[in-house]
Amino acid sequence: MSSPLKPPEGNWWDQAVNRRESIWLGLGVIWSLVLFGWMSIWTRTGDQNPIGETYRVTEAEFQEKMAAYKDAAEETEQGLVPDDTSVYMAGVRFAWDGAPVVLEADTQYDFHLSSYDVQHGFSLRPEATLSKQINLQILPGYEWVVPMTFDEPGTYHIICNEFCGEGHRSMHDTIIVTEAA
Amino acid sequence: MLGLFDNDYGSDGFRQCSVTGLQIHQSVEKYVKLFALTAIVALLYGGIFALTVAMTRWEVVGLLDAGDFYTHLSLHAWNLLIFWMIFMEIAILYVGGPMVLGRKLPLERVAQLGWLTMVAGALLVNYAIWTTSAPDQAPLLTSYAPLPSDPLFYTGAIVFLLGATISALPFFTALWFEKRENPGQTLPLVTFGAFITAIIAVEAILGGLAAFSYALAWRIELIGSIDAALYRQLYWIVGHGSQQINLVAMIVVWYFLTHVVGGAEIVSEKVSRTAFILYLFFINLGAAHHLLSDPAVSTGWRIFNTSYAFYGATFASLIHAFAIPAGIEAGRRKRGLGGGLFGWLTGAPWKNPIFSSTIFSIILFGFLGGITGVLMGQLQLNMTWHNTLATVGHFHATVVLGTTVAFMGLSYFVIRTMFMRAFISPKLASIQPYFYAGAMSIATLMLMYVGILYGVPRRTSEVVENIPGTDFSLAAAGPLFNVFGIFALLAIAGGVLFLVIAVGSVLFGKKLEPGDNADLTPDGLVYPDGGDVETADVEEEGNPVHTYDMRGTFVLCLIFLGAFVITYVLNWYLLSQLWQIGA
Ligand SMILES: [Cu+2]
Repeated sequence: MSSPLKPPEGNWWDQAVNRRESIWLGLGVIWSLVLFGWMSIWTRTGDQNPIGETYRVTEAEFQEKMAAYKDAAEETEQGLVPDDTSVYMAGVRFAWDGAPVVLEADTQYDFHLSSYDVQHGFSLRPEATLSKQINLQILPGYEWVVPMTFDEPGTYHIICNEFCGEGHRSMHDTIIVTEAA
Repeated sequence: MLGLFDNDYGSDGFRQCSVTGLQIHQSVEKYVKLFALTAIVALLYGGIFALTVAMTRWEVVGLLDAGDFYTHLSLHAWNLLIFWMIFMEIAILYVGGPMVLGRKLPLERVAQLGWLTMVAGALLVNYAIWTTSAPDQAPLLTSYAPLPSDPLFYTGAIVFLLGATISALPFFTALWFEKRENPGQTLPLVTFGAFITAIIAVEAILGGLAAFSYALAWRIELIGSIDAALYRQLYWIVGHGSQQINLVAMIVVWYFLTHVVGGAEIVSEKVSRTAFILYLFFINLGAAHHLLSDPAVSTGWRIFNTSYAFYGATFASLIHAFAIPAGIEAGRRKRGLGGGLFGWLTGAPWKNPIFSSTIFSIILFGFLGGITGVLMGQLQLNMTWHNTLATVGHFHATVVLGTTVAFMGLSYFVIRTMFMRAFISPKLASIQPYFYAGAMSIATLMLMYVGILYGVPRRTSEVVENIPGTDFSLAAAGPLFNVFGIFALLAIAGGVLFLVIAVGSVLFGKKLEPGDNADLTPDGLVYPDGGDVETADVEEEGNPVHTYDMRGTFVLCLIFLGAFVITYVLNWYLLSQLWQIGA
């Protein structure tokens, strides 16, 4: 009897393995390789990757960058229209500095994401299709440059999804995406 | 004390368990009971907040306001995810170590000191959470710096971790004595698994001491600033490491209970032990999946940890996914307990709550917890899971449907064979695993759906009915939330039922005599008189276990792999529908 409560007897290492268990082990290896391979391929060929340059930045430095960005941008009724394809956004309890912002579809923007105080969560989805949503962690002290190209015009909603204090549930803003010019 | 720690021990302090055949010393049994009971107290206390938290997230009820919600959420997390689990895991170490080896518990005073220290740490954490005031914020589970928590909170966490380390010392000492007395003797599989669990625990604890000391030093201004990214890396060594302890301890419990109440055998010592070794090397790297949507760790680091390393652990889990049901299948076929494809399974003791809890834990952990863990552990898919309620669904599938259900089964086992008490209601005890696991599964699935399909965030008191300051809300998720709310209530009722049966039986259950537990043993395995299994008839007639048919298990595993592939493809399909993100 092979019991998990007793030391195995004899040369247990050389005991044969059931054929079906061996087949399962083979399937397990193949599946693990598929999981890895697909993820690796997607970093090269896929359109959705949580990858971008990161820079160390103090809160004051990022505030300066934000001020310069806002100076260059155009204030409109709907929100800021950036001067070029750089977009700055910072979490600050309990708001998104730099939002709302008005962008064009089919243009690649570099989102510069950071925080002035604590950790926040940048959770973004278009109003029309809630299942299209992405979530990025925002840390103070780090500027994360994540490129994004919106293919559909509409209103995109940002919700903070990292607990940042009692008013956290009200930390919402928008990105307006207009038709490509 | 209330006769809780009595049993009929011989003059040498040992007794033989009629179910497992183990020689149990009173010193081991006393501390197993003490830690298990303490765990159940934490489950009871933390479970109260399951109700208030779930009824706040179900915004139709909207029980708590924001401030109270975060306090209750923190209490829910620490008492269930940490205190219930880790007290029980120390009990598991003592079972897996000295009890299985038939030894006394060495360093009894150290075990006592460890328990006291853990209790002190747990009380301090609870006190700190209740009394948190500005500028400090409720810590939740993670206490993400630079959001400040009460210095007493960090202190309590450190004290608790030190207590857990002290409590593990008698376990390590027992193993050391055993190896010294029997050089060259292989440890039993359960003991080996417990040993791996304990090493992973030590790694996790070191990370925890580093993280909480760093945060405390910053909070009391010994150091001027704290790096949020570094804190996250240190924190997740313990934050995820503690969940890996839960996982490995749970698997040890699976091997243990399927054997003693289901008649399972080990189909390959080599394969099962290799899987534990893979855990030892790789599983803690799985913690990286908390940092996949983080700015501060490089892409190479993330891919290494979630692929090369993490799939080492995933593969190990796939091994156990086959080995444990195959053990039941082969063990029962060997004894003539059920033929055909699934006769070994359908003929199993489904009315025994120890058995049914264990099987539900295995199935639900695999299908709901394991698959989702791998999905969210993919670099890109993580963007759609991170910080949504889907993540909360994932870890309720692992630590509730998996670990908690297994530990409930273990608690029933301890009540019957160590407290030697009959259940106050055997009928309710039989039903409880079905009721709890069923309701909790649906509640958990709803959390996953609202997270993935509607992007509902975790860690917020409202967002579905109302987001203050805007007309926008995630109201489309409302119907699924109604299902969630109802099944969460049912699941909590199932949890209450467990506590009533467990506490009621320990206090008021009929005292059992040795031999009264014959109904627990799988027919023909261990003999109620405690006779030596080595001499049993089945042994002489039986062929080596690997020669028995395992086709039922193979079919079940193929169904599992099919479900895995389908959910994988669906998740990638959803992701591919998104706009272009990232370089
Ligand atoms: Cu926030």
